[in-house]
Amino acid sequence: MTRTYHTVKYLCLLGWSIFVVFPFLWALSTSFKDANAVTSGATYIPWLEFEPSTQGWASLFASGSRGINIVTPFLNSATVTVLASIISLMLGTLAAYGLSRYQYRAGFVKNSDITFFFISQRIMPPIVLAIPFFLMLKEIGALDTIAGLVIVYIALLLPIAVWVMIDFFGSIPRELDEMAMIDGCTPIGAFFRVILPNSATGIVVAGMFCLIFGWNDFFFAFILTFTKTQLLPVAIVSLNSSVTPWWSLSAFALISVTPLALVAVVVERFMSRGSLAGAFR
Amino acid sequence: MLKLENLSTPDPKVPLKSLSANFEAGKIYTILGRTGAGKTELLRTLIGLDPISEGAIHLDGSDLVSTPIRAREMAMVYQQFINYPHLDVLDNVAFPLRRKKLGKALARAKARDALAIVGLAGFETRLPSELSGGQQQRVALARAIVKHARILLMDEPLANLDYKLREQLREEFPRLLHENAEGIILYSTTEPAEAMQLGDELIVMHEGRIVAQGDPAALFDSPPSVDVARVISDPPISICAGEIRDGALLFSDGSGAGATGLTLSKDGPVQIAIRPDALTIGGDIFATVKLAEFSGSDTIVHLQLPFGEAVMLVDGIHEFHPGNPLDIMLDPTALLLFSHTGANITERTD
Amino acid sequence: MLKPKHFFLLPALLTLVAIIFFPLIFTVRVSFSSWDVYQAGLDFIGRKNYLRVFEDARFWESLIRLSALSLITVTLQYVLGFALAMAVWKEVKGQRFFRVLFLIPMMTTPVVMSVIWRTMLHESLGPTNDILSMMGIGPVPWLSSAAGAFVSVVMVEVWQWTPFMFLLMLAGLVSLPKEPYLAAAIDGAGPWRTFWQVTFPLMAPISIGAVIIRLIEASKIMDTVYVLTSGGPGTATETPSYYIYIRGLRDFQVGYSAALSLTYLVLMIITLTIIAKLLMRFLVGKDT
Repeated sequence: MTRTYHTVKYLCLLGWSIFVVFPFLWALSTSFKDANAVTSGATYIPWLEFEPSTQGWASLFASGSRGINIVTPFLNSATVTVLASIISLMLGTLAAYGLSRYQYRAGFVKNSDITFFFISQRIMPPIVLAIPFFLMLKEIGALDTIAGLVIVYIALLLPIAVWVMIDFFGSIPRELDEMAMIDGCTPIGAFFRVILPNSATGIVVAGMFCLIFGWNDFFFAFILTFTKTQLLPVAIVSLNSSVTPWWSLSAFALISVTPLALVAVVVERFMSRGSLAGAFR
Repeated sequence: MLKLENLSTPDPKVPLKSLSANFEAGKIYTILGRTGAGKTELLRTLIGLDPISEGAIHLDGSDLVSTPIRAREMAMVYQQFINYPHLDVLDNVAFPLRRKKLGKALARAKARDALAIVGLAGFETRLPSELSGGQQQRVALARAIVKHARILLMDEPLANLDYKLREQLREEFPRLLHENAEGIILYSTTEPAEAMQLGDELIVMHEGRIVAQGDPAALFDSPPSVDVARVISDPPISICAGEIRDGALLFSDGSGAGATGLTLSKDGPVQIAIRPDALTIGGDIFATVKLAEFSGSDTIVHLQLPFGEAVMLVDGIHEFHPGNPLDIMLDPTALLLFSHTGANITERTD
Repeated sequence: MLKPKHFFLLPALLTLVAIIFFPLIFTVRVSFSSWDVYQAGLDFIGRKNYLRVFEDARFWESLIRLSALSLITVTLQYVLGFALAMAVWKEVKGQRFFRVLFLIPMMTTPVVMSVIWRTMLHESLGPTNDILSMMGIGPVPWLSSAAGAFVSVVMVEVWQWTPFMFLLMLAGLVSLPKEPYLAAAIDGAGPWRTFWQVTFPLMAPISIGAVIIRLIEASKIMDTVYVLTSGGPGTATETPSYYIYIRGLRDFQVGYSAALSLTYLVLMIITLTIIAKLLMRFLVGKDT
């Protein structure tokens, strides 16, 4: 019984692993093909089944009409994601701390309503805001600019930061803030001197989620930018035309997903330490 | 002098109800009460963590309520071990001094002295998480006494420690608290022995009110009300219904209590309080053992008497089996009498 | 002087209100106008756009399709994610390797991976049909038939987001208390009974949270569809987001698409609230 169970378990783990890995392996293999190798049907192993070529990878860094510019979209994506994440984290951490420690009242609006307002932004389908964002950014001349995208991404990431941090601060005993104030801190000083230095775990977790959702967004980048400020996903999708250079596409895709795939290692560590559970209750 | 006038709080769970009291510098006040009596609430209100709804708090004539927490020059030790996790032990203790704009070197030197007093010399570079519970509480204590605060509040500081550490730290407290001797110390606890041992003056709280204040021994000998008698006695005092009829004290089953040494002038129903040490084995009261438990080197026996239930304290460790009969003697001179409203009506003849 | 509590909350609140609120109000206003590609401007045509929404079969079909898609993908993700989390929860050889590996897909950009999936599902040049043909299964019209396209979208969504479910469920599992398991072991409960009587009830709150989060995210499906099938063949995989995108930013019927998106938003809020309440009641046995 236990033996069969273990065999079945490992077979399932193996099966799912193959399912997970296959697209990456396929992309890796394809990225070393040329037009000939691609159009002659599905092949997998270089040298054995097809003659590898580096033209896919070379095209990413080549200049001129034959090359695909990968550096600019990569830097654009990194700039927008990092800037929006940092701003969201700063604002979100402050707000989450306020909501976890103070009572707010404005008419019938209470803390729980404000928290819901922040978090409920995740329910908002992007399309609902896309058109007014488009018109709004056009109005202020921020269409197709880094600044415009950062503004929009803050709306996207701020709810995530608030959500993770509220739960995190809930796990820090109030007595710690109180002790800081008894020991001579102002309420704001207590936050910066005592709470913030002890919030690394929460901030890292929130930061990772901001990076993941920011880096992986396509829709807003697609609608609100054209050629001047192209982000990575948009640049890749624009390659997805009828005459598809699969080799460049695959190489490009691998480069764009690798940085965040590495984040998985960090996420796993936090998860195994039990630092994530509180954030999802 | 710290002065409370008709202090009330809006807290819905344990509201304080019109407290008035005076506290003098240089004294240790122990606040005794059960869980939920309002001890923590009183301390939190004093230090400004919880709002007041009515009344006033004055320290040497100046109003405390309008003073921000950080300017109150008070210190607090919590029941939980609260230290700053990101600072090492030395900087934890130096933290309040640094907030008072003391130079880094001076603050650290003073912190070092305070750590030596609480017995943590050599632990300066550890993080709080690397210490045992008892050591963490010592750090918190060092941080409280290093400030030489005008008021030091201690909220059941031993409650979360295991028995051995609790005894050890409690014995050291008089010496440790001497460091803060020029201030007012308020120390809350649920344990009568702790309150008696440490307090220059004892305050008994019950359901959000101060029900007694005074010399610990005097309060113990002659509690003003049945509530105070209950809170102050450990093992618990037993209360039995009875009455005074024709100058004799009778239990509810009609048996006489043989009230030697008591003046029984007024007839009527009374509550008879029997201290655990008023009962001894060997006598003419027929009892049944309900339960026996050990506390330190004593045995506490819960008895069913003909006129009610009572607790007896027996020196040494003895086996008592539930259900077994036992003959009991009652020392009438150790009885306390309370009226049906709870007021102490004990009158000694001598 | 700014009070501390306002110092903490206001920057974020005002930022979000500024970014979200005005566009939303603007959308409401636009939805009552006939703004389109020929005539941009805020005239007022009353509820005409909403009446049109009511009669727009393509929109309602896309909503039904979205419901089916969300329910199927989230159910699959939950079952698979929970099973995988259970499998690598206790001592397993290569535990960390599996855990990291299983997380990777959610870190990757959905549209980028959809581009790769598109090459994999290519009918004559992709590996999917190649492998199936080795097993004797004829070429499957993955992206050119309605059923095939739907299954493709489900498969890619499951690949992409099962890791998210896996993450939440494993995070929940590692923080479970030990005591109930000791009690179950003392009672002599086997693994099957232990799961249903201990693990599953203990995981109910986090399960509800995870399912609701995924339903919310699934209700916005758009990226995958855009790249994989462009809503096709025909409108076979068109979701409301994608349809509104076509109306608003391809046909530039701004007024009408605003009405569509508000209808969509309100329906989403109502549906998700009802689902959340029902899940709470069924799984925890208590309200809200």
